[in-house]
Amino acid sequence: MSKKKESPPPEEPSILEHFLVPKHRILSSEEAEQVLRRYGVKPHQLPSILASDPIVKLLGAKPGDIIEIIRDSPTAGKAVYYRHVVPAEE
Amino acid sequence: MAASLETLVGVKFGILSPEMIRKMSVAEISNPDTYDEDGMPIPTGVMDPRLGTLEPGQRCKTCGNTYLGCPGHFGHIELPVPVIHVGFVKHIHLLLRATCRSCGRLKIPEDEIRRLWDELEELKKLGKVSEEFYYKVAQRAIASQTCPYCDEKQYRIELEKPVTFIEVVNSERRRLTPQMVRARLERIRDDDLRLLGFDPEVARPEWMVLTVLPVPPVYVRPSITLESGFRSEDDLTHKLVDILRVVQRLRENINAGSPSPVIAELADLLQYHVTTYINNEAPGIAPATHRSGRPLKTLVQRLKGKEGRFRLNLSGKRVDFSARTVISPDPNISINEVGVPLEVAMQLTVPEKVTEWNIERLRQLVRNGPNKYPGAKYVIRPDGRRVRLSYVQDLEEVANALAPGFIVERHLMDGDIVLFNRQPSLHRISIMAHVVKVLPYKTFRLNLCVCTPYNADFDGDEMNLHVPQSEEAQTEARILLLVQNNVLSPRYGAPIIGAIRDFLTAAYLLTRDDTYLTKKEMSYLLAAIGYDGELPEPEIKEPEPRWSGKQLFSLLLPKGFNHRFKAAFSPEIEVVIENGRLVKGVIDKNAIGVEKANSILHRMMVEYGPDATREFMDKLVKLLNTYLNLRGFSFGIDDLEIPKEAHEELERIFDKMNKLFEKLKADYEKGRIEIRPGETPEQAFESNILQLVSETREEAGKIARKHISRDSSAVIMARTGARGSPLNIDQMVAVVGQQAVRRERIKRGFTDRVLTFFKPGDVSPRARGFVYSSFAKGLDPIEFFFHMAGGRDGLVDTAVRTQQSGYMQRRLINALEALYVEYDGSVRSMDDGRIVQFLYGEDGVDPMKSYHGEAVNVDILVNRLKISASSTPASESALNELTRQYEGKLPPKVIETLVKAVQERRISAGDAELLFKEAYREYLRNRIEPGEAIGVVTAQSIGEPSTQLTLRTFHFAGVHEASILRGLPRLIEIVDARRTPSTPMMRVPLIKEIAQDLKEAQRIAKQIKCTYLEEIASDVGLDLRRNAVIIVLDEATMRDEGVTVKDVDQALKSLKLKFERSEKTITVYADEKEKDLERLKARLMSLKVKGIERITKAIVRYEDGEYVILTEGSNLKKVMQVPGVDYRRVWTNNIREIASVLGIEAARAAIVRELKHVLDEQGLDVDIRHLMIVADMMTISGAVKQIGRHGVVRLKESPLARAAFEISVQTLIDAAVRGEVDKLRGNVERIIVGKEVKVGTGIVSLLMSYPGIADGSGSKETGEAKIEGRGGG
Repeated sequence: MSKKKESPPPEEPSILEHFLVPKHRILSSEEAEQVLRRYGVKPHQLPSILASDPIVKLLGAKPGDIIEIIRDSPTAGKAVYYRHVVPAEE
Repeated sequence: MAASLETLVGVKFGILSPEMIRKMSVAEISNPDTYDEDGMPIPTGVMDPRLGTLEPGQRCKTCGNTYLGCPGHFGHIELPVPVIHVGFVKHIHLLLRATCRSCGRLKIPEDEIRRLWDELEELKKLGKVSEEFYYKVAQRAIASQTCPYCDEKQYRIELEKPVTFIEVVNSERRRLTPQMVRARLERIRDDDLRLLGFDPEVARPEWMVLTVLPVPPVYVRPSITLESGFRSEDDLTHKLVDILRVVQRLRENINAGSPSPVIAELADLLQYHVTTYINNEAPGIAPATHRSGRPLKTLVQRLKGKEGRFRLNLSGKRVDFSARTVISPDPNISINEVGVPLEVAMQLTVPEKVTEWNIERLRQLVRNGPNKYPGAKYVIRPDGRRVRLSYVQDLEEVANALAPGFIVERHLMDGDIVLFNRQPSLHRISIMAHVVKVLPYKTFRLNLCVCTPYNADFDGDEMNLHVPQSEEAQTEARILLLVQNNVLSPRYGAPIIGAIRDFLTAAYLLTRDDTYLTKKEMSYLLAAIGYDGELPEPEIKEPEPRWSGKQLFSLLLPKGFNHRFKAAFSPEIEVVIENGRLVKGVIDKNAIGVEKANSILHRMMVEYGPDATREFMDKLVKLLNTYLNLRGFSFGIDDLEIPKEAHEELERIFDKMNKLFEKLKADYEKGRIEIRPGETPEQAFESNILQLVSETREEAGKIARKHISRDSSAVIMARTGARGSPLNIDQMVAVVGQQAVRRERIKRGFTDRVLTFFKPGDVSPRARGFVYSSFAKGLDPIEFFFHMAGGRDGLVDTAVRTQQSGYMQRRLINALEALYVEYDGSVRSMDDGRIVQFLYGEDGVDPMKSYHGEAVNVDILVNRLKISASSTPASESALNELTRQYEGKLPPKVIETLVKAVQERRISAGDAELLFKEAYREYLRNRIEPGEAIGVVTAQSIGEPSTQLTLRTFHFAGVHEASILRGLPRLIEIVDARRTPSTPMMRVPLIKEIAQDLKEAQRIAKQIKCTYLEEIASDVGLDLRRNAVIIVLDEATMRDEGVTVKDVDQALKSLKLKFERSEKTITVYADEKEKDLERLKARLMSLKVKGIERITKAIVRYEDGEYVILTEGSNLKKVMQVPGVDYRRVWTNNIREIASVLGIEAARAAIVRELKHVLDEQGLDVDIRHLMIVADMMTISGAVKQIGRHGVVRLKESPLARAAFEISVQTLIDAAVRGEVDKLRGNVERIIVGKEVKVGTGIVSLLMSYPGIADGSGSKETGEAKIEGRGGG
């Protein structure tokens, strides 16, 4: 997990840099549409991520968004995963 | 056949309305008497003949069928007073509280209701509405004190278990009668109910208060006639009679106009009987019992638990065409055969269709009849009539009547395919298909190579055999389940079938360097395996021709086979096979054994396929068996002999140990012992002793290993991997060593001593279970006692472990059962079509086809393509071109390894292209197949090895400070997703600048560790005069803990209390709010003065070239913020914490890591793809969910699937209230209703049919019939 950031101030721990946290990205609506079409599913059939998830909050994603996650994979090297943002449970 | 089943498309749950109950009833039951004097059932009694008949000769009064054809009919009882249904009390209670007592409206204002409706519509669009929403609505309504519609004041309603509702009106407790409850429920509006999650169409709340009781048909509660002629009624019948008696009395009293207390009492009695009729284990009620005191088994009890309807009859079903007997070994049959006793073969049958090609053979079988071996038991004529041949007088006549179209059910014969199974069926290879070989005697015979997958031995084990009847089933068995197609384990991608025990010994003895065989021996051995080629050139020609064992072994290897690997016997020995010749090294477990990756077997399976491997194994086993018979191999006391000097050496070691112990004891008594933080002196002493005895045992073991002959049978068996371990040998030869109970030296028994033989307080090795003797020498009585105690502990441990891991596996299976691989390689859930992984295992490779986890093994490819180093290796640009070409087609990691291989092996550009092409082909071949029930495979792959995990926490004597949870308990903890692990821990690395600085590391460790005022206070007192608490600080501890007075001041300030401090004395004054001095003292003592909450201990360790801080207790968020901590690499074992601080994806990664860690630590080989499935499933909802009834299983859409797992009855009741529909898409539901499951070969279905395309007739009807017929195939 080497994420290059211009001169990271060590006092400001960013959870995005933690070794367990893969890269997250909000998909544009076209990309999201494409993903749904490729797998032939409705958004709620994708794995979910809560709107209260710390990473989601950092990205500023809202319920209904689809987030692309690029994981480091022990089998494939890199692997893509998608999660659908859902309202947080109370 | 399948067509009629296919019409069942779903199950809708609901509550029966009184009208419905009356409508489906064929008779009103009102008479409490069952039979008249003649023993005939009385009409209107509970055994009313209209409900169906149990007597073989009689016909049903309702439908006219005999007991075989009559489906049974419901009756009903009219209840004179309403009765509350126990199952629904929770729901009734909720409704009573959430709605107005007078107008029946949901107690939420109009505008808010509208908002909630919008929210509900929104949620419905997103999928299933969560329980949380309905709960929120209900809580909101309950909170209202007055009704927003009619302004009626609301009162608290309490539920008194099991079924009484009490309304508390101004501290007066008024009981709500069922009539009142029903009246209130009737008033609730349909729309209000919908907001609460009820489906008023099928579950009106007033139906939860019974006015009519359905009476189940007699087939549900048959009476048994005992041998004595007495009739014994079913529990349900008894209960119905009880109910009818009360109903009758109640009615009489009502008609007679009895006083209301009498009627109320009878109504309560009726309530009791109806309650226990439904659930005899309802809390707060005495179970109804038989006269003998045995509690009755009523409706709920029939469904519940392991012995209940769901798990006993619906999830598991009984079968025909099966056999069971003891198993015994036979090295002379093939690994894919099973020896079936003749007697069994004459009972089991296979249906065979008569055609013009087999008609003569089948005629002969029919002529032989059922009692002469190759015979037949039944003939089925084309019109469906069955002829039982044992009743037939003239078999010849039946034989002659045979014509194409007939079916003959003939005896089981050689070459038939059968399924063979040994319980517990922990993984799919517990059931494999074998080819029948009919043999004399009475046991099933199996080849020893298949012992491992079945986990079978021959100490009395029994196995089951099933004969697939349809041609589809037989074909599937032959293709998918046959033994040779399951040599590789889906758990780790290496052979699980291979040589064991004596075969490994024999293989070593045969192939070691000094084994030479005469011509006679050679011929004998080759004859045993049916070798018919030429004898190779003997290795030694003069004076007599001699062949080496390696030469003989090489004859089994295919030509062109190349392989190099390390032998198990000794890591220095490299085994070299060139062009099918064993050139160097010995054959042992690493070559032909099980659970070893990269062995000869593994290579052969991958390169030459299952059939060649099967043949190799068959011959190998026969050869090795014959050789060992020829040579002889025994194990006796002389195999454990060591010279006299060795014994003297051992004596010296024990003397040394005893002396060291005396020294330790003296040190301890004088208080000169070194104590690690957090240890008491006793613990320190004990761990020192433990270390001493384990060192002594190790030393003694070394002596044994030095002196024992390398040719000792024990050594050969241990080193080849045949049986036993070096530790076993040490124990037999040198010393048995320390015996332990619960991982501690044995200390239980009398006060301060285990046996009266010892002096009280004796903690010497001998008094606490150290066994000085070896097994060869024999144990003295004292030692024998200790050994027995340790042995018993081991047995208990195993018993507990099997239970725990069994339950864990059941939960895993139930949580993952619905997962399968779609055609696009994604993993989805069968019931709701949800995606769990977008590409299985992230690379789409089947772990079984992978090379021990690798998607593609480059080594094998290079070998297969005969690629060698070239003088003109591929250029950088050519490689880049190739990489670009295969990007997206091959996983990045495969491309990476290919590029590396090309560079390292100096492969030419042309060959590199070939290599990439072949790698791509190989990758496609190794892809997982669509339909694979991957969830079940995963659950089995984790559950099966978990039995081998250690159960208890491990104390590392003198190595680790803390006892860490590991093994099975930790595994269970992870899949349970506990809120906090039992031993929370963190690993805190430091930033580069200070990673080598011990001082700085220790400073940070101190800074992190949480210290309370109590720890640094040397004295605490109360000053009653000044109304204050006085605390004296201990400077020494403050220094040790790294606390400054400033820290203390700061902490005290946060309390907002008046205090003063002079040097190290603090006075804290009580104020208005905190008057109680004792309370104040307690509060002060638990005041945190420094550090981070929950970090109870922090120590510095040097690991992997840097200083890191290890902590007990975990607080990820705070620790990451500490300056100097490398927050990128901070790790904790608390997965929930990771989820809340770092997000769900980090939690998923952590679950995979933790699972892998637990399994690796115990040396269990499980492919990481399985762990990924578990982690992805646990995090699919965005929060970490446990594998179990509260987590993953509850997320399932199907009520039946949930009911089949746990808490059956409540699940069904909730489903009824919600009006849920089970669409019967998941596997569990389909098994329950008897449909074929849609995984594996069942995934295939016809999307579109063209009328008549199947048979060319062009008629629409047949076209459609075909589609449905397909479902069964």
